Amino acid sequence: MEFSDQQSAGKVDLVVSRHGKSADAVIPILQELQETFNYLPVAALKRVCETTEITPSAISGISTFYTQFRHQPAGKHRIRVCTGTACHVKGALFVYEAFRRELKLKESEDTDAEMRFTIEKVACLGCCTLAPVVRVDEVTYGHVEPGNVGGLLRDFLSRNKHDTVVNNPASTRSGFQGEVRIGLGSCCVASGSSEVKAELEKTLAASGILVDVQQVGCVGICNQVPIMEILKPGEQPAYYAKIRPEEVREVLLSHFRPEGWVNRFRSRFYNIFDQMVANGAPKSFRKYMAEQRDTPLSDFLGPQVNIATENRGVTNPVDFEGYRRTGGFESLRRCLERMTPQQVVDEITGSGLRGRGGAGFPTGRKWQMVRDQQATEKTVICNGDEGDPGAFMDRMLLESYPFRIIEGMLIAGYAAGASQGIFYIRAEYPLAMLRIGEALDICRANGIAGTSVLGSDFTFNIRIFGGAGAFVCGEETALIASVEGKRGLPRMRPPYPVEKGLWDKPTLINNTETLSLVPWIIRHGAPAFSAIGTAGSKGTKVFALAGKVRRGGLIEVPMGITIRQIVEEIGGGIAGNKTFKAVQIGGPSGGCLPASAAGMAIDFEALKEAGTMMGSGGLIVLDESDCMVDIAHYFLSFTQNQSCGRCTFCRIGTRRMLGLLDKIRSGRGVREDLDILEKLAHSTARGSICGLGKTAPNPVLTTLHYFREEYEAHLQGHCPSGKCLPLIRYEVGEGCIGCTKCAQRCPSGAIDFKPYEVHSIDPEKCIKCDICRQICPEDAISVK
Amino acid sequence: MVKLTIDQVPAEVHEGMTILEAAASAGIVIPTMCFHDGCTNHPSCMICLVKEIERDQLVPSCAMPVADGMNILTNSDEVREARKDALELLLSDHVGDCEAPCRVSCPAFMDIPLMNRLVAAGDFDRALAIVREEIALPLVLGYICPAPCEKACKRKPMDAAVSICLLKRATAVHCEGSCIPTGQADWNGKRIAVIGTGPAGLSAAYYLLLSGYACVLFDAREKAGGMMRYSIPDEVLPKEVLDAEILAIARMGGEFRMNTTISRDYFQEVILPGYDAIILATGHREQDPGTIFGLPPDKTGSFIDRKDLSTGVPGVFACGNIIREQKMAVQSVAHGKAAAIGVIRYIENTGGRLAQQKNKQDAGPSMSEGLKRHSVSVTGHLFEPEWQEYLQESILDHRVEPAGGKSAGFTRGEAMHEAKRCLHCDCRKPVSCKLRMYADEYGAQRRKFAGPDRRRLSRSMQHETVVYETEKCIRCGLCIEIAEQHGEVTGLTFAGRGFDVRITIPFNETIREALQKAAADCVQSCPTGALAFKTAEERNK
Repeated sequence: MEFSDQQSAGKVDLVVSRHGKSADAVIPILQELQETFNYLPVAALKRVCETTEITPSAISGISTFYTQFRHQPAGKHRIRVCTGTACHVKGALFVYEAFRRELKLKESEDTDAEMRFTIEKVACLGCCTLAPVVRVDEVTYGHVEPGNVGGLLRDFLSRNKHDTVVNNPASTRSGFQGEVRIGLGSCCVASGSSEVKAELEKTLAASGILVDVQQVGCVGICNQVPIMEILKPGEQPAYYAKIRPEEVREVLLSHFRPEGWVNRFRSRFYNIFDQMVANGAPKSFRKYMAEQRDTPLSDFLGPQVNIATENRGVTNPVDFEGYRRTGGFESLRRCLERMTPQQVVDEITGSGLRGRGGAGFPTGRKWQMVRDQQATEKTVICNGDEGDPGAFMDRMLLESYPFRIIEGMLIAGYAAGASQGIFYIRAEYPLAMLRIGEALDICRANGIAGTSVLGSDFTFNIRIFGGAGAFVCGEETALIASVEGKRGLPRMRPPYPVEKGLWDKPTLINNTETLSLVPWIIRHGAPAFSAIGTAGSKGTKVFALAGKVRRGGLIEVPMGITIRQIVEEIGGGIAGNKTFKAVQIGGPSGGCLPASAAGMAIDFEALKEAGTMMGSGGLIVLDESDCMVDIAHYFLSFTQNQSCGRCTFCRIGTRRMLGLLDKIRSGRGVREDLDILEKLAHSTARGSICGLGKTAPNPVLTTLHYFREEYEAHLQGHCPSGKCLPLIRYEVGEGCIGCTKCAQRCPSGAIDFKPYEVHSIDPEKCIKCDICRQICPEDAISVK
Repeated sequence: MVKLTIDQVPAEVHEGMTILEAAASAGIVIPTMCFHDGCTNHPSCMICLVKEIERDQLVPSCAMPVADGMNILTNSDEVREARKDALELLLSDHVGDCEAPCRVSCPAFMDIPLMNRLVAAGDFDRALAIVREEIALPLVLGYICPAPCEKACKRKPMDAAVSICLLKRATAVHCEGSCIPTGQADWNGKRIAVIGTGPAGLSAAYYLLLSGYACVLFDAREKAGGMMRYSIPDEVLPKEVLDAEILAIARMGGEFRMNTTISRDYFQEVILPGYDAIILATGHREQDPGTIFGLPPDKTGSFIDRKDLSTGVPGVFACGNIIREQKMAVQSVAHGKAAAIGVIRYIENTGGRLAQQKNKQDAGPSMSEGLKRHSVSVTGHLFEPEWQEYLQESILDHRVEPAGGKSAGFTRGEAMHEAKRCLHCDCRKPVSCKLRMYADEYGAQRRKFAGPDRRRLSRSMQHETVVYETEKCIRCGLCIEIAEQHGEVTGLTFAGRGFDVRITIPFNETIREALQKAAADCVQSCPTGALAFKTAEERNK
């Protein structure tokens, strides 16, 4: 296949000219080609091979390794169905299947016949508290019901599309009456905060009220978003949780006086008019005062300790001055001016900080190892390739605190004797890439990154590398391979990257959260940090709390906090009168701990002891309606799909384990299958060379250990939680009022109905899509 | 230098060596598949796992550098178990047949596909030689064999099985050489008595004569042939066919003593002291061999060890229906060969002359020995879309029926045409395939971790000399690297990730395009039959 037109070839050449002809430029070239053509035409790939050092073998191998790359044309719009853990337990697969039905997709298709929509599953959109979540292009929909996906698509198509993430440069006007803060993290936006902000700006313009509108990063209180915070001199800060656009004006006017009598009169008039119209309508928002106790807000925030998320909900992510005002870059200055690199390493060592990427390697020791290498060229890499389903800490930190992480990286670079830094960020995190990019530009302009940092003789250049979608690239050697423009295959260690990393030079790879803690440690001293936490695990840990708790969100808690405190105090217990059954901690590398273990204090060792691990910090709470076999299957299907495919055990072992779980879930399992499953889990853990394969069996092993009776029940053909589709059937119960709603929505015509009579479901026709149960106003449909 | 311990023996090796190299320097061989000198050796297959005791972990020895104080076990139970797991996982995802199903189902384990290929090429002499490796009476069996091979033929569900039995007969009919096999050894001074001249006795005598043993064949009847002569009607097996084949054995030196009933006393007093070894092939008898020949029973009361065909008297072996009534002559023929091998080993190990003590190691071959490597990998039935893959090496024509009727057999031309219908479903690397070799060595069970569905096999034939079968690949990637080293322009590549990763040719080019210079090296380094020479005829006898 050749390009029929010169124009396309020219486009390819242009892309190549921007990234160079060397072999390691392949991933950025592919990313830009895909942006240009919407997929990767073979002719374009061939053209790249003709004009660069990239070989056909390399370009084929790489473009089929990373999920980001498509080899078939995509539809005009992308539907991304989040299948993160929180969404999974809230029925994401029902939603996914509903979209497929709506678009009339055949088994192997992902794009509808008219090429309007391409559907894909994504690991996590990071809006766990709005689960199940779907994003269509830039528009995010929360609490999506499988019965209404058609309506969702119509809404999308009718939308006057505008960029939902708007950057508002900090205002320079004076004479403000106060400040209004509104969160614009990805999840806030998904819950409608940009509409709230638009309304806010409209009201301000119309009323002439002068307040400083600050768009801040993730506020963490995802369960209460959109949230608007009002600060007025002399008043306690007030929070308006779950506020709707139409309520903004009323709230605003209750705090601030419009400027000028005309505005004041007009506002009062409209206000009265509005109240006449909306009288009696319940208000959706809740108001909480900052110092008020026993509110959901204070309960949620109370037990938290903010280090990585310091100044949460206060600072505009890319407000350089704002960061400086709150002590930003002080630590860097102190290091450069008053500390030797060795003293910096010692400080970090003394703080007891351990890597937040999952394994918990002592950070100071790692820094020391790189520092001790006699090499002229060393690199620091910030690992932002977060790919866990149900975890979005790194993204939130990168989006909300870019300067803090840059500062952490600079300090690490200074301590380790490195001269360059790379932010490795998943391409699925566009906002994080944008924010870090902006922040880097500002830093360079202000002499903070580049040659002669803060006037010292320390030179440190930072660039961003966009990962292309491979969970395994979170593993450090795979990450390096990917930066070098290869398939992201982990390799044997030793040699470790601290010795032979990027291009065989010493390389320090730290997780995003780890780096974000560094400035605080330098500013407050090692003892302050090590005063928090347990004997072996110091400081705080950020978790993405989601699942069946009342209040989910991003939380930063001291090490040593118990699971119960997190679930009950911060999370407010289990939602909907259900019982707390288990927590899944650590994502696909972690495991499930039963409610009976909730008294456990969280630290690296305790979790490992219990068969799970810290992982990157997903914490999903499960209740009695969650099937543990299904959960094990869910995580294993993720890791199985993300295996690089190099080692026999991981490549085939995980697939065979998944096959056994499938068999068990469908009620065809026999006792021997449990033994083979357990054996395979152990041998896969023993025989894989990287962390992915070594930990992939954890969800299986922990559920087998703590919930074996559930597996046994499945062997008997019974799913106690009613989750495993082949083992359940839908039935209409006594409560049916004969409203026919279910029958109208049933996609397979399985419901036999007569108005005002009890309906019935034909099990032969039923596809178990769950729509009827969700739509029934009387909760009369049950799963048996 | 680095000091470490390998299998409890201290060793001192150069820094930078891998455990694999260090072990080799200490004379310890660790199995490898994806390892290849001169490649980067990114571990993949995990067959070279060893135990590192201090850190209580299993590590791939091919890539793990040695370190001071390491304590390595290369062959512990745990290590062997892990290797077996790896092999069983690889087998669970390996689609292909080590041996053609026809050969596996043949009681004599005759190399049918090779015979077919030689017939197709018109080389009837060599085809007959292949048949005779396992079957002493090709012509007779070409008439009377019920051909279990044809029931197993992969071609059967497509249209009809290859007409194997008639092809076998054709090799004997259309051969140009002598009806006596070439390469018969000179007499080695040993004399063997064979009691009974049915298919088992004749077969045993044939292989003994071939190996230089003198054979005396006894039979109570007037003419040799046993049930082949007295139970099978003439229209099924013409007597002259049987006579011709018996004559061949006589011309090889077989001494027939007909009308000789061997009584218990005669056996004990004349036969036993008079021969270096004895084979009992009397066919099915009402009485047990203890009563007939005075053999002692073993602890369980049986007179013959069915595994190695030995009896309670050293140097006396039994074969054929005397052990168990069998329906197929081909089974007796196979038995006869096994008993002959038993005798040969016995004499080689003891010098013959009926040693006093029965020593198990000196006994015969294990009946399963020759056959145990049959089914390391078995595909089972083909899915319809796969037919096309195999038909690339075959012809679509229907099964040839002999123009002169079945009794006339194939003409030379008919045989050649029919033989071309064979699908060559047997592996081209049955001997050099490391997966098969180690699976066999470690006793790996192919079904242990079998998935719910097997992959669809494919066969790329566009290359002049090389065949590529994706589903036999273990994804080690050696070929990709070697192609790159040879400077191939297109070369090979990994496609996909995880379980679905496979080695393909970039931009959907053909294997011919991919391997213009590196083909031979790729084939030689490929640890399985995924890449093989088209004309390879590795022999697994």
